[in-house]
This record gives sequence, C-alpha cells and structure tokens, in this order.
Amino acid sequence: MPLEQPPTLQDFFASWDLFADPALAGALAGAVLGALGVYVVVRRMVFLSAALAQAAGFGVAAAWFAQIHLGVPAAWATPTVGAGLSSTLAAVLMTGGDAGLKGRRDGWLGGVYLIGAAGTLALGTRIVQEVQDIETILFGSAVAVSPEDLRSLAWMVGIIGVIHVIGLRGFVQVAVDENGARVRGLPVRLLGLLLMGSLALSVSLGTRILGALPVFALTVLPPLAALRLAPNVGYAVLLATLIGASAGFLGYISAFLWKLPVGAAQTLCAAVLLAIAFLAGKILEFLHNRSAHRHGHIHGAGCGHVAIRHGDHVDYLDDGQLQHSSNDGHEIHGLASHTHTGNGQACHTDALNLPSQAQPHGHGHSHVHGAGCGHPRIAHGDHADFLVAGRLHHQHGDHCDDHGPVDIVD
Amino acid sequence: MKIAPIDIPEPSVPPSLVHCRDLVVGYAGTPMLPPVTVQVRPRELWAVFGPNGSGKSTVLRTILGILPPVSGDYICHAQSLGYVPQRNEIDPAIPARVIDMVRAGVERNWSFISPMWTWRRREAIDDALGDTHIRQLTKEPWTHLSEGQKQRVLMAQALAGNPQLLVLDEPTSAMDVHAERSIFALLDELRRRRSLGVMVVGHNLGVLARFATHALFVDKDQAAVAAGPVREVVGGSAFVERFGRGVADTLGPANAT
Repeated sequence: MPLEQPPTLQDFFASWDLFADPALAGALAGAVLGALGVYVVVRRMVFLSAALAQAAGFGVAAAWFAQIHLGVPAAWATPTVGAGLSSTLAAVLMTGGDAGLKGRRDGWLGGVYLIGAAGTLALGTRIVQEVQDIETILFGSAVAVSPEDLRSLAWMVGIIGVIHVIGLRGFVQVAVDENGARVRGLPVRLLGLLLMGSLALSVSLGTRILGALPVFALTVLPPLAALRLAPNVGYAVLLATLIGASAGFLGYISAFLWKLPVGAAQTLCAAVLLAIAFLAGKILEFLHNRSAHRHGHIHGAGCGHVAIRHGDHVDYLDDGQLQHSSNDGHEIHGLASHTHTGNGQACHTDALNLPSQAQPHGHGHSHVHGAGCGHPRIAHGDHADFLVAGRLHHQHGDHCDDHGPVDIVD
Repeated sequence: MKIAPIDIPEPSVPPSLVHCRDLVVGYAGTPMLPPVTVQVRPRELWAVFGPNGSGKSTVLRTILGILPPVSGDYICHAQSLGYVPQRNEIDPAIPARVIDMVRAGVERNWSFISPMWTWRRREAIDDALGDTHIRQLTKEPWTHLSEGQKQRVLMAQALAGNPQLLVLDEPTSAMDVHAERSIFALLDELRRRRSLGVMVVGHNLGVLARFATHALFVDKDQAAVAAGPVREVVGGSAFVERFGRGVADTLGPANAT
C-alpha cells in the first residue's frame, strides 16, 4: 500500500482558488490585529485581547443558541452580530470598570475571559449540531472562509486602517505618555475610545473568522517582535502590521503543509517570527555596541563624567581617556601635549619639585599618584597623568610634575 | 504757565501665568491639603517641597489639569504648559529615540492629524535640543542615556512646545549632587532666557533655596501650606515647625532675580 505523499507548496498554489479567501483573511486579520496590538502591549494590557476574544466567542455561541432555542430569526442573531455586541459590551465594561475598580483592570480582564470561555463551553452543550464551530471559535480550526466574511474583514481593515493612519501620532502619544498627552490638550478620551472600538471590532470579527486563540496570538506576538526591532512606536506599528500579516498568511500555508489546526499554525508562525526578531535584535545590538564602543550611556552634559574642553568641543573623561560622543558613537580623543587647554595655551612639563610644605596643587606632599590614589587618570600624549583641581599631575619619582591646566566644563 | 502732564509708568508687574486662589487639591473629592493660593509669573522659579507623600505632586497635577480640583479657583493664563514627568514614569521597554521623545513635545490638541506639523515645528525642536545641550544625542535610544541625560531629554520635550510655564515633577531624584546642580543651573538659565515660569518639585532644600525665587511648602501631616518668596517661606512658622530653626537659618539667600 503506497504511502500518502505530504502536500507541497506547489499543491497549495495549484489550489489557490480554494485557499485564497482563508489565507487572505489570515493576512488581513494578522495585519490589523498586529498593528492594534502594539498599543495593547505598550499599555501592558495584553490580556485585553484574550478577554475580548473570549467574549466574542461567547457572543457567537449565544447567537446560535438564540436561533435554535429562542426562535430569534437567523438574520438578526447572526454570529457576527453576537460577537460584535458581546465584545463591545466587554470593552465598555473593562474601560468603564477603571473608574470603579482602580488598579484592578487585570481582575476585570480575568473575569471577562473566564465568563466568556465558560459561557461558550456551556452554550456549546446546548447547540450540539454546532459544537464543531465552538471548537473553531475557541481554537481557530477553520479551514474555509466565506467570501462575505472576507469582504467584511477587508472593509473593517480599510476603515480601521484609515483612522489609525490619520491619527497615528495621537494614538502613539496617548499609549506612551497619557498624562503628557492630556497636558498638551490631545483628545485623550476620544483616542482611547477609538482604540478600544477598533480593537473590539477587529477582535470580534477576527474571532468569528479565525478563532480566539490566533486572535490573541496575533495581537501579542507580532507587536512584541516589532517592539524588539523598531526604533520607536510608530515604526513598531508598521512593522507589527507586516509581521502580523505574514504570520496569518504563513500560518495558513503551514496548516496546509503539515496538516495542523489553522489557529495553532498561525500562533506558532507568529511565535517563530518573534524568536527570529529577538535573535535579529540581539545581533544588531551586539554589532551596534561593538562598532560604537558603547558602555551603557552616551557622553553629554550631566552624564556623570568629567567634561573637559578640547579645542572647539567638549570631551568626557572616561576610563582614563578623553571620549567624544556623537551620533556615530564614541571617539577616543588623544590629549596631545600642546592642545589640552582648549585656548591654545601650551602645556608645560616643568617639574615643580615643590617644597614639602607647599600644597598648591590639591593634595598633600606625601601623596603618591597611582592606581587607586583617588584622582582620575588621564592619558596625556605618551604617558598618563592625574587630574587634580583642573591641572594635570604627573608622578615623577618622589614628586609631582605639573603638566598644565585643562579647561573643566562645569 | 501750563504744566504738561507727565506720564508716570506703572511699575511693570508681568501678568500671572497661573493663579490659584484657595485651590483645594485631593482625590475623589477628599481634600488633601489646606487651600493653596499661588500666583506664578514669568521668570519665577517656584520650588514645591515638603515631606514625602505631602501632596506636592498632587498640587502639580491639579495645576496641570490632570487631576480635578476639589474646590477653589484656578485660572491658567499661560498659552501652553510644559510638563516634565518623573523619569521612572517612562517605560524603558517602549522603544524611543531622543528625537522621537522631543518631537512628541510639539504636539498640541489636534496637531497629530496634520502630516507636516512636526516638520513645521522643526526649529522649535532644534532650539529645545540646543537649549538642553543634547543635540549630539538625537539618534540615541532612551535606554542608553544616563539619568542626567534622560532628564534633559524630558525637559527638551517640554520646551519643544514653547511653553510659558514649565512644570517638573522631581527632576533630580536619584541623581548625584553634581548632576542635580547641573539640572537646576540649566533650569535657572532657561527661565531667564525664555522668560519661563517654572514650578519644580524637589527634596534638596539647599539646591532649591539656591536656585528658586519662590517656594510652595506643603505638609499634609501638619495640614500646612505656605507660599511666597523663598526667604519668607523658609523663615515662616510652617517651615520652622517641620524642619527646625537651624535648617531655616542655614539655607542661603534666595535667587531674587
């Protein structure tokens, strides 16, 4: 008996007419959920989408229940309407709950999640003929998407996309610094409502089409990957859109190739992309640090290192060397023997050989400069000096030589 | 002989940027402090100080409009406010470069829907970067900065909006003395150069008394509020009762100009 050949990518695209709608639905849902998820992750509310997705699942089950047992016309109690109503209600409850239950937003999220999940499973036992769809809702095992669903999704993505492209900077401001945005007069409340509305709409429709598990995954994993790589939140939204769309699309292909549940495959694809992003982020960070000789911060006013005027600029004394920070990284600036005063005054290397009772240069006559002496070491030409009260001291046998002043910037 | 009238100029007192009259601050309608009466004018640097948990930040947040007042009058004549939050309010997990943070400061009301707004405000952004001496850091990520640099970035963000009143919440917490003095020296320079009114919450009485022109002392435990020129507040009974006569005597003369 011949073994069945596993399906190939060629098979997938040969049947593109059959798979186009669900694959594109995965990409569209991934794009919008990824983009909105950035705000959710930045505001540390990742379980918001999980709770909304479970609420939407409950709404779908409730719609079927209403059709079968309550005799509500199918045109009214559609799964999409049920998902939209229940997720909107959950969103209002969770945002409105902030006022009454300060600091317990996570509790509200947990409550909505649990009631949604338990309600969906409970109603599933009363709508036996639809129980397969209950699994689809919860775990995303859908393999087919109707053209109507795809059209609804495309419209929703278009509308939400336009709103969020126009208001991108406002949404970012409110997510990153809500108090600052309020002080600057931005419409914080309206932007918050628009964000919550967009999220409720996309999660409800996404849950209806893909299932709760992939919806939660696409709202969390692509944003995490994007935030790891992007230089700011605006770019992270753009990147998360692309990663989310890729995860949704590739997940569907993976489900076909390896015969996996679609929701699980989309979730795993998003997780793989997240792992790649973290690895890429580590590599970029390593290369950046190595090329720029970084060590934790960039020198500048108030950075904590002694600032010394060096010609027409200011350098910082760090680890015995004058360093200059720019957008290209750190540069080591050698302190030449005749340029360290900044005003062209030549340094002199006369041995002071001061009388033992004289202490004009900031320390007692018995002090010996060296490692751990308490004075900062500074490279000076071909030797090392020590910085004491704005002058360079050079240990020369049993006495100090004065190697001239440096211009310390306060 | 007819004597022509001489116009004697009125002594010029700049109009107040913020005027709080019997302002009661608190949470959920519960007063936290006795009524506060404060009038902040351009070029004044107000030090807001008091023990931990005494209501300093609550006063500032009420003046900024983040918290509603419990009662009293509050009039803000300043066209724009600049708010510098505490550094620990900035989530280090959120990616942001210095230039991104400073650009955010130019957004006002509905400006975010104008695609060219930030470009049109580029001079204000550049001035803010220059005034805080961080031009060389524009591409640096927030997490690569030292505490002093972070503070300058937040100040640049607030200055980018060309505020008339700058409000800072504990800008020098977790800083060494050198960095703290550097930040206050910068504030002093900015309020003179930009004719800013400044309100700053701080703990280091020596530094506050050195740089501030006025002070607002709040103490929730003793139900005490004192406002006015630094010398008057430091010599006042509320301050002496909390910190002792010795501390009041050792604090230096106020920054009068």
